[in-house]
Amino acid sequence: MKILVIDDSAVMRRIHRNILKERGIADQDIIDAEDGQVALEIATKNTIGLFLVDWNMPRLDGLDFVHRVRAMESYAKTPIIMITSEAARYNVVEAIQAGVTNYVVKPIKGEALIEKIGKYLDA
Amino acid sequence: MQVKYVNPFLNASVRLFRDHLGLRVESGKPFLLQDPQALYEVSGIIGLAGETRGAVVLSFGRETAIRIVSRFAGQEFVALGNEVLDGVGELINIIAGNAKQDLLEFRIQISLPGVITGNSYKIHWPEGVPVVCIPFSCEFGPFSVNVSLKDIA
Repeated sequence: MKILVIDDSAVMRRIHRNILKERGIADQDIIDAEDGQVALEIATKNTIGLFLVDWNMPRLDGLDFVHRVRAMESYAKTPIIMITSEAARYNVVEAIQAGVTNYVVKPIKGEALIEKIGKYLDA
Repeated sequence: MQVKYVNPFLNASVRLFRDHLGLRVESGKPFLLQDPQALYEVSGIIGLAGETRGAVVLSFGRETAIRIVSRFAGQEFVALGNEVLDGVGELINIIAGNAKQDLLEFRIQISLPGVITGNSYKIHWPEGVPVVCIPFSCEFGPFSVNVSLKDIA
């Protein structure tokens, strides 16, 4: 299963990649994107089984990405985990309404993140 | 600017640096920044917009920035390169985003972070709005979180 990690911070992408690798995900199954626009292009050329997406990004932010990718028939039910610093309740509601499967507030420890997303990795 | 608007940034900072990164962080008493340019060499800045306006700046000395971002990234950096600057931006992003959960009076949008370095930069703070400095110290050196938020109450 390919996992698409979408975050404009190179440090955050590296952190997420390391967490996934420690969980046993092969390096080649983890794909990076620095914004939602790049992620959409990757998603159309690959079959992604899990999205980890930040909210605040240039060009196409995480919320707009979720709207766009959910409109694609092939990704109507693919798990999308939003991992963001946006901790306000209204942000969580907005993300869930857009089609996010689970919402995780940064910062989060690796083991806590794996606990949140483990069921999607094992699916 | 009312204290209740400063505390969410103080609390978010403590959660990030002490609880998440495991640093021995002590916060000092917040004070009005008389010289709004009195910041350290490396600063991450985020604008706040929506039902209020303002900015929040996380400011470190060079070595402090390198060591704290190294802890955050789980990787040892030795110089103030792009990844350290990227990490500073992410840290201020986390502080601003997390503070929103306690700023219940306002619905706020946060900007993308910017990071500036040097010894003589100037930040254009929101006009007419005081800047409150929250000083911190930790084993990697001092740093500060500076908040300017327009009261609408």
